[in-house]
Amino acid sequence: MIPPARSSVRRIAALLTGTLLLVPAATGCGAGSGSGGGDGEVTSITALDYYTDATEHAQWGEMLTECGRTVGVTVEHTSVPGASLIPKVLQQASSRTLPDLLMLDNPDVQQIARTGALAPLDEFGIDSGGFAQGILSAGSYQGSVYGLAPNVSTVALVYNKDMLDEAGVAVPRTWDELKAAAAALTRPGRYGMAVDANPTFEGTWQFLPFLWSNGGDERQLDTPQAAQALRLWVDLVNSGSMSKSVLNWTQADVHDQFVAGKTAMMINGPWRIPALNQEGNLHWGVAPVPVPQLGQAPVTPLGGEVWTVPRSPSKARQEKAARVLACLNGPANMLTAARQHFTVPSRTAVAARYAEEVPSMAAFAGSVEAARARTDELGVDWPKAATAIYTAVQSALTGERTPEEALRNAQRLATAD
Amino acid sequence: MKRAQGRGGPLSTVLGIGLLALMLFPVYWMVDASLQPAGNPLRAGWFPLHPDFGGYATALRDQGRNLVTSLVVALGSVVLSLALAAPAAYALARFRPRGTGLVLFGVLVTQMVPGIVVANALYRAYDELGLLNSHLGLILADSTAGTPFAVIVLHAFMRSIPGEIIEAARLDGAGRLRVFRSVVLPLSGNALVTAAVFTFLFAWSDFLFALTLTTTETVRPITLGIYQYLGAHTDRWNAVMATSVLASVPAAVLLVLAQRRVAAAATDGALR
Amino acid sequence: MRSGSRPPTDRFPGRLRERTAQWLFIAPAAAYLALFFGYPLVANLVMSFRRHTVTTFFTGDAPFVGLRNYASVLSSDLFPGTLLTTALFTVGSVLGQFAVGLALALFFRRRFPLGDVLRSLLLLPWLLPLVASGATWRWMLDPDSGVVNTALRGLHLSSSGVPWLTGTSQALVSVVLVNIWVGIPFNTAILYGGLRDIPTHLYEAAELDGAGPLASFRHITWPLLRPVVGVVLVLGAVYTLKVLDLVLVVTGGGPAGATETLATRSYELSFRQFDFGRGAAMSNLLVLLSLVFALAYLRAGRRARTF
Repeated sequence: MIPPARSSVRRIAALLTGTLLLVPAATGCGAGSGSGGGDGEVTSITALDYYTDATEHAQWGEMLTECGRTVGVTVEHTSVPGASLIPKVLQQASSRTLPDLLMLDNPDVQQIARTGALAPLDEFGIDSGGFAQGILSAGSYQGSVYGLAPNVSTVALVYNKDMLDEAGVAVPRTWDELKAAAAALTRPGRYGMAVDANPTFEGTWQFLPFLWSNGGDERQLDTPQAAQALRLWVDLVNSGSMSKSVLNWTQADVHDQFVAGKTAMMINGPWRIPALNQEGNLHWGVAPVPVPQLGQAPVTPLGGEVWTVPRSPSKARQEKAARVLACLNGPANMLTAARQHFTVPSRTAVAARYAEEVPSMAAFAGSVEAARARTDELGVDWPKAATAIYTAVQSALTGERTPEEALRNAQRLATAD
Repeated sequence: MKRAQGRGGPLSTVLGIGLLALMLFPVYWMVDASLQPAGNPLRAGWFPLHPDFGGYATALRDQGRNLVTSLVVALGSVVLSLALAAPAAYALARFRPRGTGLVLFGVLVTQMVPGIVVANALYRAYDELGLLNSHLGLILADSTAGTPFAVIVLHAFMRSIPGEIIEAARLDGAGRLRVFRSVVLPLSGNALVTAAVFTFLFAWSDFLFALTLTTTETVRPITLGIYQYLGAHTDRWNAVMATSVLASVPAAVLLVLAQRRVAAAATDGALR
Repeated sequence: MRSGSRPPTDRFPGRLRERTAQWLFIAPAAAYLALFFGYPLVANLVMSFRRHTVTTFFTGDAPFVGLRNYASVLSSDLFPGTLLTTALFTVGSVLGQFAVGLALALFFRRRFPLGDVLRSLLLLPWLLPLVASGATWRWMLDPDSGVVNTALRGLHLSSSGVPWLTGTSQALVSVVLVNIWVGIPFNTAILYGGLRDIPTHLYEAAELDGAGPLASFRHITWPLLRPVVGVVLVLGAVYTLKVLDLVLVVTGGGPAGATETLATRSYELSFRQFDFGRGAAMSNLLVLLSLVFALAYLRAGRRARTF
């Protein structure tokens, strides 16, 4: 007779081995990821971006499919949420499973290009002529072009026509006019002006037009020009023309506030236009960002996503991906994308045509020519400066520090090791 | 005549509903936001006077498969976590082999590891094993939250099972496994359900592994699927909220049933 | 008394078999945890001792820098503030969740119609995706248009509303409140389970002896609930230390860094500054902090077991 103890040991051991055997059986024929090496006929490539919204995803998907068709491949198109794109790219880089076509937000190109993960586009004979200087600079690293963006965008002042008419206020062109207009437009339950001043790179993005138009520079933050720009925002909040909640708002929140009639003016980008157009009762207008003195030209930051070709062991795949990239950046597709997403084509000539076609975009198209890339001067050191800038804005708007002190502190942060 | 010990009356129910209403007010607000046209959350008044069901229509159309994925992964995670954790907790509580303290400590330490650290490591492994974009892969990954938790909770409960009952079963000739299955598990009903409920919730609400370990739309839990309505340039909050609300319904039903089932079993098991 | 005697030579292998059987119960879980946590933990530790940048992900190059990442993190002037914020956030959240959770668990202990359904509905905050509930709380707490301030103004409890998300001290209170809201279901469910396991005859006996509800809580409920309370508190602390997404969604770490915790700073170092070495160092400091709680829990548990 078998003592009970032994039999239970046997039984447990049997259970264990059974389970362990089950795991590989269940995983079974694991489909390897699509990036097969070797230079056989390439029939399909992968593309990664952050256009998760169903409509945008479909629009880009269609364009990718079309371009793929002309090159003879199908495109597997995946989108991940915006903030998760870079972590995903890094994971894929370390396991060598980067997609064949990778979209990057333009300030990130420098960092990724520096790693050597991307292939320079001139290797594939892609023509980068006719592009606006800003976007070319953003997509380049050490003299080589790594990424091209079909469309770019920037910010401008969006205002509620009815509210301005009712208050008898003209569209502000200078900072003083802005302050006056915002004050005149503020009512109980409604602010005159709204921006995104939150502690992320979005907040920095919204502050840059004011910093740059006044001659401020991200290389040296503790200058009087920068302090003046920051003081403009501080004055707007302290005078009650701008809500203190800007400290927390994203650009989407600012848009919602505007649409709900809680703010008369806002700084935002043209991609909001489709949503703005959906509001029947909202009569909105666009104007360039107000400048310090009349006659100056606003300098705004360049937005837009570039497409890049990561290096892979398969030269054939890279070739196909590069051809799809070139197709995406062709004038016809640029125009299509611009019309779909209310952004501006990156090629200057195409942008001019577009501005004629869509007058509401004229202000944006004009600003894009002079728009500056965020990584223009600092390259891979931009994230530090960007963090310092939003830290300064937050610090000053909460009243913790004066603008000068805040910027001094920011400069210290930006140059610290 | 004294009311039965520990029973409340309808007054408790009213108070309960009131407390719940207070706790769940944000959920009401989400429902309110889900009924806003074009999803501008600022339009939400106290009552959705002109409800717009566009968000729900969108959610129902798009998220069916994702909902099933979430349910499968969550339930699978429960099964796996309990299967791993219950015997381990029992052994640690009952036999107290040398090194119990160390094992428990190790289990606790796993709870401290930030998720992204695990996710990054898993991505490489999964890619080589072909576990990306699979239900099994997600089940394995999501159980990393449930298993240690279940071990800790079950251990705490199983420690309090009176030794005499175990001894009695052993004297009757039952093997260790039989004792575990027929005596300990039924007694731990409450603890098992608690562990099961939380393992389900951990897996259900996981976003990190869903994001990291999938690259296509075939296996996409709802926490990731919801980003279909949050794009780089647009936000459709009514669809986001509608999806959240709709997705919670089957999960909530499951939870209610699970807790009911065991509450009944616990009162039947008259070992106390 | 078991009949029959085993030959003496069997006794040694018997004990070994006994030990093996015991460890076989533990083995599957131990293997799973070692596999899924061991490697990442070690990898994170190694990363914190090297200069790990974006390039490292692609090339694998990461020069060893010893403790420099830790030194840099600890000596940053933001660190004391972050540590304090983390401490306040953790203590506030855990105590709040526990207190409310216990109160609700005690309330639900009495069986009343719909009790089970209501108790299950209490789990809803965990069923909802954090992106949705976080955003909802952000709208509700908005100082201008949020429903909380509207209610406060309507009830004349505050004339201009509380700057929930824009005041530096109020913002911390806000994230603590939201975290408490998220943590209540966890506490309630576990404490409820613990309460249910306390034999009712003890309460009956106490009542016969004339003990009131407060006395029976102090002398019956609390002592018998202690092991469960320990579990809930230590897990609550460990989970709260890890909280990241909630703070990012509700305040983004602002305003002016008022809600930056070790977890959010670690994320920022890694994914905004791309300085993964320092990010890993920060997250290891977090693990160290959790270890303190864990040791306290195990110490207390060992003491309890000797009873």
